[in-house]
Amino acid sequence: MRAPAHRHVDGVFAALADPTRRRVVERLARGGTVTASGLAEQLPMTRQAVAKHLSALQGVELVSATRVGRETHYKLRPQPLDEAAHWIQMVSAEWDDRLEALRRSLEKRGSRSR
Amino acid sequence: MKLRDRPEVDEGTPWVERETMVEASPEEVWEALTDEDRLEEWMAPEVDLDPTEGGEIAVRDGDDRRAGTVETVEEGERFAFTWSRPGEGESFVEFTIEALPGGSRVTVVETPTHSMATKTAAGSTAMAASGWGPRLARLNRAMRFAPVA
Repeated sequence: MRAPAHRHVDGVFAALADPTRRRVVERLARGGTVTASGLAEQLPMTRQAVAKHLSALQGVELVSATRVGRETHYKLRPQPLDEAAHWIQMVSAEWDDRLEALRRSLEKRGSRSR
Repeated sequence: MKLRDRPEVDEGTPWVERETMVEASPEEVWEALTDEDRLEEWMAPEVDLDPTEGGEIAVRDGDDRRAGTVETVEEGERFAFTWSRPGEGESFVEFTIEALPGGSRVTVVETPTHSMATKTAAGSTAMAASGWGPRLARLNRAMRFAPVA
């Protein structure tokens, strides 16, 4: 097992660094699909601003878009978030193991010299 | 001389920070972090390291191989390098050693170097990014319970 490639994870974190974009994601996380106009009614933003954020999220595959007639319907794709969380979990667990091994290695030496 | 400063982090940086307390002096910890034979006792079965700034580091554990460059060598205090697996993104890894009564604290930070382009205003610290774990957990939970469309 290994952490997913950083490239993807980086993009996801960068996209979520924007607090407004996180609000969009949190709204999408409630489920279902939304349109830019529908979302703009629920958030203190213009339709254009919402559309820009949705497009950025689509760029890192956090959001999928489906064209329905004249409207675009957006939906959250959870997989990139899982990958980002997975990167943190994997790397944290790896270092916990290594630091524990470091501690044992140092203390084994310490008891030998005392 | 430092080849590269520790990356500035902001909320967009995936940042892992872990620490441990050891019953060993900072000098003993420094040796365990920067001597390739000592590294093979705890880091991975095979480690090649030239512990000078700009030197090479190679870490092998079976098929898992990483290689990189030593970035910072401040004896007894700070040791940093980059590493990456073939074809994957590069991470910056930094150890800091702090003397404590009866021992030392060893802290390690790992962050993808791609994120280093995301510079923020002075005063930004690891604390800003350390909220990521809980935040992602919340988002993931929220999605798990979200009704299926």
